[in-house]
Amino acid sequence: MAGRRERKTFTEKNLLIILVVMWVFLAIATGGNFSSWANITNLIRQSSINGVVAIGMTLIIITGGIDLSVGSIVGLSGMVFAIFTSTRGEFQFPTIVGILLALGISALIGLINAVAVHDGKVPAFIATLGMMTLVRGVVMYISGGRMVTAVPLEYRRFAVLEFLGIPALAWSWIILAAFMMLVLKYTKFGRNLYAIGSNEEAARLSGINIRLNMYSFYIVAALFSGIAGLMLGTRMAAGVPTGGSGYELDAIASVVIGGASLSGGVGTVLGTALGALIIQTIRNGGNLLGVDPFIMQMVIGAIIILAVFFDQFVKNRRKGEGRKRLFKRA
Amino acid sequence: MPEEKTVIELEGINKTFPAVKALDNVSLSVKSGEVRGLVGENGAGKSTLIKIITGAYTKDSGTMIFEGNEITRNSPLISKALGIYAVYQDVMVTPDLSVAENFFLGQQPKIGPFINWKKMYKESREFLENIGLDIDVRKSIKELSIAESEMITISKALWQKPRLVIFDEPTAVLTRNETKILFQIIDELKNQGTAVIYISHNLEEVFDICDTVTVLKDGATVGTYTTQELENVEKLIPLMVGRSIEEMYSKKDTEPGKELLRVENLSGERFENISFHVRAGEVVGFFGLVGAGRTEIARALFGADFLKEGKISVEGKDVSIKTPKDALMKGIGYLPEDRRKQGIFLQQDIDFNINIINFDKVMAGPIINYGKAHSQARDYIDKLSIKIGSIFQPVSELSGGNQQKVIIARWLCKNTDVLIFDEPTVGIDVGTKSEIYKLFGEILSSNKGIILISSYLPELMGMSDRIYVISNGRMAGEVDKKDFSEEFLLTLAMKNIVSREKVKEAV
Ligand SMILES: Nc1ncnc2c1ncn2[C@@H]1O[C@H](COP(=O)(O)OP(=O)(O)OP(=O)(O)O)[C@@H](O)[C@H]1O
Ligand SMILES: [Mg+2]
Repeated sequence: MAGRRERKTFTEKNLLIILVVMWVFLAIATGGNFSSWANITNLIRQSSINGVVAIGMTLIIITGGIDLSVGSIVGLSGMVFAIFTSTRGEFQFPTIVGILLALGISALIGLINAVAVHDGKVPAFIATLGMMTLVRGVVMYISGGRMVTAVPLEYRRFAVLEFLGIPALAWSWIILAAFMMLVLKYTKFGRNLYAIGSNEEAARLSGINIRLNMYSFYIVAALFSGIAGLMLGTRMAAGVPTGGSGYELDAIASVVIGGASLSGGVGTVLGTALGALIIQTIRNGGNLLGVDPFIMQMVIGAIIILAVFFDQFVKNRRKGEGRKRLFKRA
Repeated sequence: MPEEKTVIELEGINKTFPAVKALDNVSLSVKSGEVRGLVGENGAGKSTLIKIITGAYTKDSGTMIFEGNEITRNSPLISKALGIYAVYQDVMVTPDLSVAENFFLGQQPKIGPFINWKKMYKESREFLENIGLDIDVRKSIKELSIAESEMITISKALWQKPRLVIFDEPTAVLTRNETKILFQIIDELKNQGTAVIYISHNLEEVFDICDTVTVLKDGATVGTYTTQELENVEKLIPLMVGRSIEEMYSKKDTEPGKELLRVENLSGERFENISFHVRAGEVVGFFGLVGAGRTEIARALFGADFLKEGKISVEGKDVSIKTPKDALMKGIGYLPEDRRKQGIFLQQDIDFNINIINFDKVMAGPIINYGKAHSQARDYIDKLSIKIGSIFQPVSELSGGNQQKVIIARWLCKNTDVLIFDEPTVGIDVGTKSEIYKLFGEILSSNKGIILISSYLPELMGMSDRIYVISNGRMAGEVDKKDFSEEFLLTLAMKNIVSREKVKEAV
C-alpha cells in the first residue's frame, strides 16, 4: 500500500508554501520591517479575532451551510458583556458572570439559527442573513447606538497581556484552533460533521442524529463568535455597537481560501487558520509597503476568487473530469 | 448483415493514476455489428478504458483508431461528434429537463426562434412507444425512478444513431422487463451495424447478448474469446478471477437458534400487514418484483421511514424504533439499496467510509484510537479484497464496484445482531460475491441473523433458509428451503398483481 497520507493535507501544504513565500517576499521588500518580531506578533494578533470567528464558520461551511450572522453575534457578545459588567452601568456583575451571559446569549442565537435551518428548512444563507440584521438591531437597541465603556479592569488588561512574547489574544486563537483541530479529527462529533456535510441521508442511515448534531454545530459556531466578541471587547475596552460588522465576510474568505468547499463535506481548521493569516498578511504587508488600502481590498477580493478557482482546477485535473463542476452547486 | 469493418481499434493503451496502474498495455478492436462483452473484477480497469474511449480521461500512451482515423485529441465533445455514445456506470442525465428535452438536447426543433414543443413531445413519445417504454415525456428526469432515467439514457443510444455504443453495467438497476427492452435495443443497434461494448458483472447476461468477450485482469488484457468457444460461464470465471469457484453459494444448513427479531402487522406508506421473524443463524430471504415494497419494509423497520403501525420485538422484548439510531442500538443494521445516494460519503477517504459507524469499537474515552480504527478497516478491506491504493484515498477514486464493497465492509464490521442486506451483490464481481457469501457464514456462526433482499433468484435460493415473498406491498407467502423453485416464487410474487399489464411491467 503506497502511503499517500499527505494527500489529505494537500491544500494546507500549498497554503503554507504561499504564506512562506509571501512572508519572505515582504521581509525583503520592506527591508526587514515586516519580519520584525513586533510586526509578526502584531500580525497574529490582528488575525486572531477573525481567526476565531472563522473556526466557527468552518464548521458551518462543512455542513454545506453558511453563517452570515457571526459578525452581529460578535457585536452582541461584546455589548452584552459591557452592559452587564460596566462599572457605570446598572448591573455591575463580575467579569465571569458577564462572560457567561455573553456566551449564553451567543449560544442561544446559534440555536435559533439551527432550528431555522434544520427544522424550518430555511436555507442557511437566508436564515442567517435575517439573523444578522436582527441581532445587529438588538445590539443597537440595547446600547442605544452608543459605546458602553468602563468595563472591568482585568477584562481590559487581557488585550495587552503577553505570554512568551506572544499576545494573549493570539494565544486564545492558537489554543482554540488547536483544540478544534483535534476535536474534528479525534472525536465522533468531528467525524459526524464531515459525514453530515458530505451526505446527510447516508449519515442518517448510519445512525447519526442529524438534529442534535446540527444544533451543536450552529451553537458551537455561535460560541466562537461570542468568544471573538469578547476578544474584540478587551481590545476596544468597551462594547461597541458596530463591533464585528463585516466580520462574516473575512471569516468566509478565510474558510474558502483555506480549502473548504461551499457544497459541504470538505474543510479543515488548519486550512482556515492559514487562510486567515494570508488575508491579514496582505493587509499588513500592503500597509507597510504603503499600498493604497482600496487597492488592497481589490487584491483580497481577487485572491478569494483565485483560491476557489485554483482549488477546483486542481481537483478537476486530478479527477480528469471536465470543468462543469465549477458551477454545480446543489 | 452489413459489411463488417473495424469501428474502433485500441493499441497498447496505458493509464496510471497516482495510486494504481489502471490500464497496462490494453488492446481491443471491435467491428461494426459486433457486440463485445467486457468483463473483469472490480477495479480491473473496465470503466477507465471506456472513459479513455470517450475522452473523459486522457490516456498516458497508446493509439486509438476510430473508423480508420487515428484520434490524437479526444474529449467527450469530440467523441460524441465522432459518433461514440456511452451509458456510464454512474448515470448522470440532466435532471431538471423533461424527458423530451433530453432527447433533443442542443438540437430542439424550432418555429422561428421558438422551440416547437409539440413536435418534440410527439416525436419523443412515438420513439419511446416504439421500443416499448411507457414513460411520460413531459415529466422531468428527476421525477423518474432510477430505472426509468437509466432507460432514457439507454434509449438515447438508439435515437442518436451512433457508430459505437458503450454500456457500463446498465442492468444493475433495471427490472427484467427493462432488461429485455435493453437487449432489443442492442439487437437493433447490431442490425444497424453499430459496434457495441457491453460491461456487466452478470455473466449469464454477457453470454446471452455478446458475440465476443474481452477479459481484463488488473488492468491488462487476458484475452478475447467468442462466446461460442467459451461455451459457458464456468469457463469464463477462471479467466477473470484466476481460479475457479467451486461452490458459489456456500451456505451450510444449520439449526436455527433463538428468535432475534419478530415483526407483526407492519404497515407503512406502501405496504401493509407484514409479519415475519428472524432466528439466530438464519438467512431470511425477501423476494418480490421490483417495486413490491421490500426496500420500504426494510427501511421502515430500520427507522428510516415512517411506520404507520406494527409491533417489533427484539429477542422477545417489544421495542420502539423511530430512527436509524434506535434500530442500531437495538442491534439492527441496514445496508441500503441505493448505495451511491444513501451510503457513500464521496468526498471522504476509505477509512472514514468504513469506520463512520464503527468508531464505537475503538474509542479511548471520547478520543478515537486511529491505530485500531485503521486496522479494523484494513481487516475488512482484505476480507472483501477491495482494490485500493491506500486507506487515505478519497473513496471517489475507487471503481464503482469497490465503492460498493467499502459500504458492505462498513456494515460487516458493524456486525449487528440482525443485518438487512438490500441487493448486496449488484455491481460486484463473481469472486467477491462468493467471498461475501462466505462472510455470511461467519456472521451466522456467531449467532446473528441476516435478512437478504434480492431480485436475483439464484442468489436468493442459494443463500436463504426461508424466503418471504412480498407482492404489491403484502405478504404473499413464506416458503421453506425444500419448496424453493423459481416458478413457485415468481407465481407468489405476482399473486397480488391484478392486471396483466402490471404483471408484464413488473417482471
Ligand atoms: N479518478 C481516479 N483516480 C484514481 N484512481 C482511479 C480513478 N478512477 C479509477 N481509478 C482506479 O483505477 C482502477 C480501475 O478502475 P475502473 O473504474 O476502471 O474499474 P472497473 O473495472 O470499472 O471496476 P468496477 O467493476 O468496480 O466498475 C481502480 O483501481 C481504481 O481505483
Ligand atoms: Mg466500472
